[in-house]
Amino acid sequence: MIATQDLAPQIPNQAEEIEQLQRSWRHPRGVLGWLSYTTHQAIGMRYIVTAFIMLLAGGIEALLMRTQLARPDNNFLSPDKYNQIFTTHGTTMMFLFAVPMMEGMAVYLIPLMCGTRNVAFPRLNAFGYWMFLFGVLFLYWGVFTNAAPDMGWFAYPPLSGPQYTPGKRTDYWAQMITFTEVSALCVATEIIATIFKMRAPGMSLNRMPLYVWSMLIQSFMVIFAMPAVVVASSYLLSDRTIATHFVNPAEGGDPILYQHVFWFFGHPEVYIIFLPALGFVSAIVVAHSRREIFGYTAMVLAQVANGFIAFGLWVHHMFATGLPQIGEAYFTASSMMIAITSGVQIFCWLATLWAGKPRLTAALHFVYGFVAIFVLGGLTGVVLASVPLDWQVHDTYFVVAHFHYVLIGGALFPLFGAFYHWFPKMTGRLMNEKLGKLNFWVLFIGFNLTFFPMHILGLKGMPRRVYTYPTEMGWEQSSFIATVGAYVIALGGILFIANVLSSRRFGAMAGNNPWSADSLEWATASPPKSYNFEYLPMVTSRYPLWVQRSERAFVTGLRSDRREALVTTLMDAEPHHRYVLPTSSIWPFITAVAVSIGFAGSIFNPWYLTWGSVLSGLALIGWFWPRRPVELES
Amino acid sequence: MNDVRTVDVSGLPPYDISHQSPLWWGQLMLAFIEGTMFFILIAAYFYTRLRMDVWPPPGDQFPHLLLPSLALVLLILSCAGSYWASEAAKKNSRPGMIGGLLLNLLLAGAVLVMRIIEWHSLNFNWKTDIQGSYVWAFIGLHTFDYIAEMVFTAVLLVIVLVGRNGPKQRMGVHVDSIVWYFIVLIWIPIYVTIYWAPFFAEAQQ
Repeated sequence: MIATQDLAPQIPNQAEEIEQLQRSWRHPRGVLGWLSYTTHQAIGMRYIVTAFIMLLAGGIEALLMRTQLARPDNNFLSPDKYNQIFTTHGTTMMFLFAVPMMEGMAVYLIPLMCGTRNVAFPRLNAFGYWMFLFGVLFLYWGVFTNAAPDMGWFAYPPLSGPQYTPGKRTDYWAQMITFTEVSALCVATEIIATIFKMRAPGMSLNRMPLYVWSMLIQSFMVIFAMPAVVVASSYLLSDRTIATHFVNPAEGGDPILYQHVFWFFGHPEVYIIFLPALGFVSAIVVAHSRREIFGYTAMVLAQVANGFIAFGLWVHHMFATGLPQIGEAYFTASSMMIAITSGVQIFCWLATLWAGKPRLTAALHFVYGFVAIFVLGGLTGVVLASVPLDWQVHDTYFVVAHFHYVLIGGALFPLFGAFYHWFPKMTGRLMNEKLGKLNFWVLFIGFNLTFFPMHILGLKGMPRRVYTYPTEMGWEQSSFIATVGAYVIALGGILFIANVLSSRRFGAMAGNNPWSADSLEWATASPPKSYNFEYLPMVTSRYPLWVQRSERAFVTGLRSDRREALVTTLMDAEPHHRYVLPTSSIWPFITAVAVSIGFAGSIFNPWYLTWGSVLSGLALIGWFWPRRPVELES
Repeated sequence: MNDVRTVDVSGLPPYDISHQSPLWWGQLMLAFIEGTMFFILIAAYFYTRLRMDVWPPPGDQFPHLLLPSLALVLLILSCAGSYWASEAAKKNSRPGMIGGLLLNLLLAGAVLVMRIIEWHSLNFNWKTDIQGSYVWAFIGLHTFDYIAEMVFTAVLLVIVLVGRNGPKQRMGVHVDSIVWYFIVLIWIPIYVTIYWAPFFAEAQQ
């Protein structure tokens, strides 16, 4: 057995040591074993696959809606079904696709990019995935039992309150939030700990790849934003199930408070999805233009500023609620300010591409598409930041067009670029470039066909969330074009899946570093072994694989007979101590089942929270109970 | 290939019970998460108060101050037990850990009893009115954390008592103290909000 890294030190007993490393990091067998995985590659891949299935589900819901809207007075879907489908579409795309997909990519990539063996808390990572999966199953259980939420993805009271939405539909929605928030918070916590304490020696903060920066900032945003949505959904749930008075106007509660708390989460949420995508773009631009990033410091500062400003924008979702004008003016200013920090990053990428030698790969196509679409979406964002214009188009298709431009342009295109860029690392094979470029053009054209006409529909006054419209409104033509576009997007999706399936089998072998890229994940095998690196790399530059071979260095002396990693200091990443990572364990799964019993049952009977807490407590004691009495002190 | 530079880390300790440990950072993030949640609730409490003409809503008693204030003093004192246990964990002193954890549990248990007595004396519940909803949410959520943390302190005590206090468990004792400091610290603004704010908020009428 020899090391799979592109460069590795020769030490005595190397083969023996690597075999031991493989034994320590082996996955357990059988179904129970499969439920016990704690390696970040396996968990990350589970996140990615599950979230991708959710993208398909959300996409099918979108196609159903577009089919209904293709012509006026259509009765393909009943109003009630239409309400359920648009709510499930928004909910699925935001909570079950976008955030978990970004978290999954980070779970897969961050330990590799930081040059370590696993995330800081592997069992918490597994627990987070199971909570996400159970949240998916929970919501879709509702969908398939005619209890899909039907009050819009942000569930404003009083519509979502007990008087106007009796039954369990809103409860399914509100509790699904709890599941996915637990999952996102688990990932954010372990990503921060991994980035702060487990970077390769020498990877000081100012040498961190920009993707790692973006995930660090995003994780902090998750930590400060997600508690708000926990509060919002708990308000709703407790008003509905145990008759509290928080946001229910029938009981003296304040529905505007719900909007404040929800959007205090909801706006940062957009950046929680968008910042990792910016990280993808930086990684792709650097690797495929074969040049160091232009303005590294400006990029980092712009991203940090993005993270802060994102918390000061939430009221621009509420301009039509009659808030005081001084407040509206402040939020207009801050909403326009975020265009500056986003603009800085766009210019830095353009400068990097300009000065580099870009290879026009499929991944880079998606980056170009991102720039074009995102800039358009950003411009309509500036329009919406202005109160009088916002009043004019509030709750129309103009808003639908805007947020699909920023979310699909800002997150989905970079994500597809990231798939093309990292697919070889994750599977060992390259994706088909020709099919990839075709995939890009079909998606790009389909996207603009679908969403550009929505700007016009919105200006003509078509409200969002209507299940049909009469002929005399004159919305027919644009709506039909949008529907055609939606099917073109679906074709693009099919091309992508076809490319993935065929490339997995027949794609050209990638080797360690097919793009001659700069960051550490490309130093090891594709796909990486479950321990990532035989010898943890040391970092001497911001672009660790672009330095002379003689300048590269490695860590030796970590034990291979147990799962050991290295903890380094926060700022300068100097080696501090060794860290024994936990092995596989079934307890995260059992704990997730116990917590889920409490969460799921509580929408039917609040006592389930008590029983769920007791069960979860027992499961956690099992989780933490020391098996080997006293671990070795050496 | 033999000329590749290497750094041998086999001499570094296999664990470190301090803020250098990833687990310490994980606990800090957990405190941020819960702290944010409580601060949003506190902000929402005052936001709600601004929209009401009379506060506390008619019929609700004004809070008692004596028992909760005494409980707060005892609660702050209980940190001494956590600190003792955590320092003992760093030095691997089993008696220190046992003493510290026991002291913490005793004081925490006393505070819990005082809190339950106080809780029972409220003349409103979460269904009565909006203040009731908030007060019960604050006390309920905090007490949930509180009991969960007491259970884990007790589990750690058992682990130390049966002699299974390896490095990971001692790290557990250390981060247990951090969770406890958080639970005590976050109670201070909550205490001010639910026991003092009704007087201040009322005085502005």
